[in-house]
Amino acid sequence: MSGADQRTESEHLRQGHGGQLELDAKAERPALQLRRGALGAAIDGIRRVTRAPAILLGVWALTLCVSLPLALALRGMLAQHLGSSLAADTAASGVNYDWMQEFGNQATGLGVTFKPTIIGFGAVLDNLSAFLDNTSRPIVIVGAATIYVSIWIFVAGGILDRYARDRATRAYGFFATSGVFFFRFIRLAAVQWVVYGVLFGSLHPWLFNRLYPRITHEVSVERTAFLVRAAFYLAFGVLVAACAMIFDYAKVRAVVEDRRSMLSAINASLGFIRRNFAAAVALFATNFALFALAVGIYALIAPGAGGSGVSLWIGLAIGQLYIAARIWVKLVFWASEIALFQGRLAHAGYVARPQPAWPDSPAAEAIQS
Amino acid sequence: MRRALLWLLSILVAGPAGTSTAIAQPAGSGSLNPPRSPRNANYTITARLDPATRTITALEVITWRNITSRPATDLQFHLYWNAWKNTRSTFMRERALGEAGIAPAAEGSGSAGEWARIDVTGVKVGGIDRTASRRFIAPDDDNADDETVMSVPLVEPIAPGAAAQVDVAWTAHVPRTFARTGAIGNFFFIAQWFPKLGVLQEEGWNCHQFHASTEFFSDFGIYDVSLTVPADWVVGATGVRRRLRFDNPRNTATHRYYQEDVHDFAWTTSPDYLERTARFEQPGLPPVDMRLLLQPEHANQAERHFDATRTTLKYYGEWFGPYPYRHITIVDPAYQSGAGGMEYPTLFTAGTRWLAPSRVTTPEGVTVHEAGHQFWYGIVANNEFEDAWMDEGFNTFSTARAVAQAYDPNYLALRYFGGFIPWVFRDIELSRETEGNRLAGYRRDAKSDAQSTPSFRYFPATGGSITYNKTALWLNTMERWLGWPTLQRILSTHFDRWQFKHPAPRDFFDVVNEVSGRDLDWFFDQMYLSSNVFDYGVQDLKSGRDGDHYRTSLVVRRFGEALFPVDVLVTFANGERVTEHWDGKDRWKLFTYARTGPAVSAQVDPNRVLLLDVDRTNNSKTLEPKGAHAATKWSLKWMVWLQDCLLSWAALA
Repeated sequence: MSGADQRTESEHLRQGHGGQLELDAKAERPALQLRRGALGAAIDGIRRVTRAPAILLGVWALTLCVSLPLALALRGMLAQHLGSSLAADTAASGVNYDWMQEFGNQATGLGVTFKPTIIGFGAVLDNLSAFLDNTSRPIVIVGAATIYVSIWIFVAGGILDRYARDRATRAYGFFATSGVFFFRFIRLAAVQWVVYGVLFGSLHPWLFNRLYPRITHEVSVERTAFLVRAAFYLAFGVLVAACAMIFDYAKVRAVVEDRRSMLSAINASLGFIRRNFAAAVALFATNFALFALAVGIYALIAPGAGGSGVSLWIGLAIGQLYIAARIWVKLVFWASEIALFQGRLAHAGYVARPQPAWPDSPAAEAIQS
Repeated sequence: MRRALLWLLSILVAGPAGTSTAIAQPAGSGSLNPPRSPRNANYTITARLDPATRTITALEVITWRNITSRPATDLQFHLYWNAWKNTRSTFMRERALGEAGIAPAAEGSGSAGEWARIDVTGVKVGGIDRTASRRFIAPDDDNADDETVMSVPLVEPIAPGAAAQVDVAWTAHVPRTFARTGAIGNFFFIAQWFPKLGVLQEEGWNCHQFHASTEFFSDFGIYDVSLTVPADWVVGATGVRRRLRFDNPRNTATHRYYQEDVHDFAWTTSPDYLERTARFEQPGLPPVDMRLLLQPEHANQAERHFDATRTTLKYYGEWFGPYPYRHITIVDPAYQSGAGGMEYPTLFTAGTRWLAPSRVTTPEGVTVHEAGHQFWYGIVANNEFEDAWMDEGFNTFSTARAVAQAYDPNYLALRYFGGFIPWVFRDIELSRETEGNRLAGYRRDAKSDAQSTPSFRYFPATGGSITYNKTALWLNTMERWLGWPTLQRILSTHFDRWQFKHPAPRDFFDVVNEVSGRDLDWFFDQMYLSSNVFDYGVQDLKSGRDGDHYRTSLVVRRFGEALFPVDVLVTFANGERVTEHWDGKDRWKLFTYARTGPAVSAQVDPNRVLLLDVDRTNNSKTLEPKGAHAATKWSLKWMVWLQDCLLSWAALA
């Protein structure tokens, strides 16, 4: 479908938007269509992502494009610090920890993030830990992350539309849809920013900087303290996951039903999750398990420091495979949520939907041929 | 009236007669024969702990002898726990200067009951009540709010060589831990807890206030201490337990500990300790009974603690001199107690984690270090207020050396998720010279203070780098420069000469000059008297064809202010290596060579003798640089970290 077609359908939906709740209400009636389970949705999501490798490749390229300039900037800092020193020999062939510390001692900006933790699986632990512990990052990293998230917001419409239709939309259609939804998702992002701001800016500090120390103040057994912290991580993680799920389905409904009001999309998302709570949660858990699997596999194969020859490029390739796997998981989250939504709540108001599958019959075969 | 009160108090502390239990006597029994020290400050203490109110009620009888040539007109006592009475003490004010700020979470930030205090309720000198005449003094900073030093003027001066008996009664409130002292839950670690005399020197009393970044100084003596705690609680203390008496009606037990020739007494009690014992035996060294009080969650780490203690007793014993006490108590402190990593005579606190991977030196590093303090602090007892580098620095150097002997290779581990989950970086093998001696910290704080500044006047946040790191680095520099046999003889001579005494810096420098046979005062002028930094480097290296040969010019430069002779190594393409010696005094020096081939590289201090050089990267230049390769490699590694970081944020997009 072309972008022009999409716009036509958008216009159509805008006109008929008032009937959306009505459609939802109708859809609540049981046995309206095949009710897809979480596992089925996950498998369908994986299939949809696999059928659109350009999306995966494109997002990976975007990730590379955002990170590569900063990597080049850091490369410049490192090269300047090393100069023509013999310290570079050991840094190139393995780890020169003394030099790393020396560099860190004088580093500013981007350079302060150059630490041993970037080696191998430590990088993943560092980021997961920073996420859960709400660790602040240097402004330059925050800036890069803001740009990266903004790009995600831009392409989200195109990606979701592609998965919702489950057929090629071509570049023009992809970017046209991205454009259509960009400002809607910016509005949604504003809501997300407020919600996550409350979670990370107020709730997290209260939980981990006030409540956790208070609860563990008299705890003299480390395991006990860890269990308390793990429970806090779980509680906070569940809240973040719940919000992420609500916003995901809001995006899904915005795209599939061409919603303009993001508040109504959030409301519709809440309605869908409420009515399909078990399936939505099970699907989220399944997708999270995929994430854990990707991380777990990388923990086993993550390359260490290595040298500067072939091992560098093998290590880089493994690293990029891991990054691609993480992107893949993120895309599967969206695609499978779309599959679940479409499998659970079919109605005539769909804008982005798969092509109808003809029944397997001699007549259909005759028409197709 | 006062006498009656004291008598009543003594009854309270001692309690009614109970059942007495004979205890198997560990080797040594706390006695050293012949006496190793002057034993001029002897303490007999009777104390009772009430865990519910976290209160200690106690009496002490001090037998003090004036070993100076001047009469004592007053007695000066440390009352360390008053440092944690409020935020106006010198300790807390200095602490506010440091990065930690006042009262961080684990140390006294809670209710008023978590602060400490020590109240002297009675003082008699030679039977004369001097309670009313006691007053607080602040010899270091005139802080009128500081109550960590108490002066008791004497009616009759105590003449040189004369002795006096001093009776002191006091009560104290055990804080939530400050400076390794305090309680959490049922874990009590009680140190610096009794009114303790300063050291009378020829110049007068050396009795400093308690400071945020320094420790202690006191005379040797005999400690005979009876501690009353709940009956089923385990007690660990300086010395050897000589008697255990149960008081059934009160459900308490009184543990009597005894030790000769020590200068402090610390103890711990908790019902939760697991008790383990082992023995150190090494040919040529006296055996030592080891007693480990372990947290239950670290039950599987008992042997690691014993092994690290054995490592210390072996290497320190062989390098410096034997451990004389025949027994040692290792305390594994409770989580969040803040009591870990501290030394007391014949007892120390280690410190480990629930998850402690192998080939990472937790708990070994801290265990070796604190056990090592039995030698540098416990036996050679310098003034820690003024010259903390003499024990902490010597011991950091010794720890790094012992750990390298016993535990190489060991690796970097970082902790994630609130510091609970360790991850070992097998690519990063920690080196004794840099990580063992803590070069990174010194590099950061190198100019913060001259080492000769009295330690208690160091800037609190950076004092540790000068005390621990700088000393370890210059001792290791001496080892690499003079050779280990020479340095070992220096240290063992110093140990032998100053054991059970109070050496000053000059005493050590004299031993160095004497044993090495060289006047190394210029070296100590650089290391000790100055805060100048060492930084030698290659400024320029050029090599080009000049007729039928290659002309190479090399400029080496002294970027820092401090001086040290260094070697300069030039390597040529034909494999020829030329080593030059530069006295390092001028700002720069030019070397030129005419060779059949070009130079490949030049290095200042190629063997890394001068470990205090704060910029090692500029010490060399090569004409075949690999900086670009290294930078590419590391920036690509970093890029994966960044991509993963970005994706973490994108998870919320």
